[in-house]
Amino acid sequence: MLLADFGTSYCKLLDTTAKSEPQLIASRDLDRNLQVDIGTGHNGKRHCLHYVNELTALARGGISLIREESFTLLDCGSRDIKYVAYSGEKIKDMGWNAECGASMGFTIELLEKYYDLDFTAIEVPASSFSVTCGVLGMSHIFDAVVTGNSEAEAVAKFVKGIAINAYNFAKRPEKIYLSGGLCDNPLFVGSFPCPVISMGRFVLLEGLKVSYEQLSIP
Amino acid sequence: MTKPRTQRVGIVGVPPLSVIKALAAPHITIYDLDEPQGKIDIETASPFLPRVYCGILRTVIANSLIIRPDTIYIDTGPGKCDCAVHTATVLTDSMPETRIIRTRNQDTTDFGTPLCRTRMNLLEKMQAITASVQSPTPHQELRPCSPIAGFWGVPPRDFSLLSLFPDTTHIYGWARCMENKTPDNLKLELHYNPDIPTVFFAQSFCAKTALARHLATKHPHALYLDCDVTAGNSAKAKIQAFLELSGI
Repeated sequence: MLLADFGTSYCKLLDTTAKSEPQLIASRDLDRNLQVDIGTGHNGKRHCLHYVNELTALARGGISLIREESFTLLDCGSRDIKYVAYSGEKIKDMGWNAECGASMGFTIELLEKYYDLDFTAIEVPASSFSVTCGVLGMSHIFDAVVTGNSEAEAVAKFVKGIAINAYNFAKRPEKIYLSGGLCDNPLFVGSFPCPVISMGRFVLLEGLKVSYEQLSIP
Repeated sequence: MTKPRTQRVGIVGVPPLSVIKALAAPHITIYDLDEPQGKIDIETASPFLPRVYCGILRTVIANSLIIRPDTIYIDTGPGKCDCAVHTATVLTDSMPETRIIRTRNQDTTDFGTPLCRTRMNLLEKMQAITASVQSPTPHQELRPCSPIAGFWGVPPRDFSLLSLFPDTTHIYGWARCMENKTPDNLKLELHYNPDIPTVFFAQSFCAKTALARHLATKHPHALYLDCDVTAGNSAKAKIQAFLELSGI
């Protein structure tokens, strides 16, 4: 059984018959003819036999991995941010921002490469930019650099602005379970104004495993 | 005897029953200006209303400019909204050849809500409710079903989001007030069923977003949702996931 989370920048692929870890493939390198059994994600519908809604996959992955009855799980992807909130084992709230919060993860990766930054070596700044979307937020960086900030300092304020925006979008929970590639970015994780528990990139794949068990696909 | 001249009459909101009775004549064609009519581009309204404005009232302006009714009855009372008051002013100033008649529907006679509670495809159910506004006759009796989901709110600008719900979804909120022909009935509008998962919907930029979100916080198992002109993928995904994760 092949399961895949077809993200905008990366595809996460899991063969349930193999005992290996999930594979991470850059979406641009993906075989155009790849077909999996169960898929989710922005690019998923054309690559799978059975498609699972991204929010459903996120929620099912969260329920499977998080040992709490009440939690907020936030997924920060390349293109969008989404969250699910559970209270007493019941779905309480959810959100998916593919427009105003768009391209945040993608922009962070672009900036890392363009300015040749090491996010493990940058401290969380005291202040942040007000960022509503990756593209609009870029102008803050350029303005800050022009006025004497270092590139790393300016990008750090941008990253913190994105984290605060994501935190507000998830309705300011006391604690956040974080999913997605940005879990590997310590500057981003450290920029949240609440405790963050990183769950890694494969939460949606876990949700697909649960969907597979529920669907009992042959 | 001379045949009466054919008249095109637009309605906005729920006109009082007395108006609907007066319009029930074969020479009068009624246009529900709240709903998209054919392929009229909503951008037609942009020179007259801000783009960041209720999608329903932008639709009203776009429809009015293209259909050019002889008369428009626009409810500007508590059964509609303040935005309609200002839209009526815009219509009056922009369409001098059309008679703009402001109404305040505060009818209190309950017509009942059989459609809201029966088993039927939700999209068709909502279409039947909005169509029923044009009829002065009592509703047909329909067997109520046991609901497994609820939809609270106004008829959306984009009905396609209703296609995601099961047939046994009950309708609440202002749409229920519409069917009951009492659009200014806050008690009925506030009613919901706490025992079924319910989507509380309002049009973006509508004052009812406050009520929808407030009630969603009170309801033990609810999703608050607002959409502008069309229901995008994220809005539809939210509904679909909410229903799936609620075991529906």
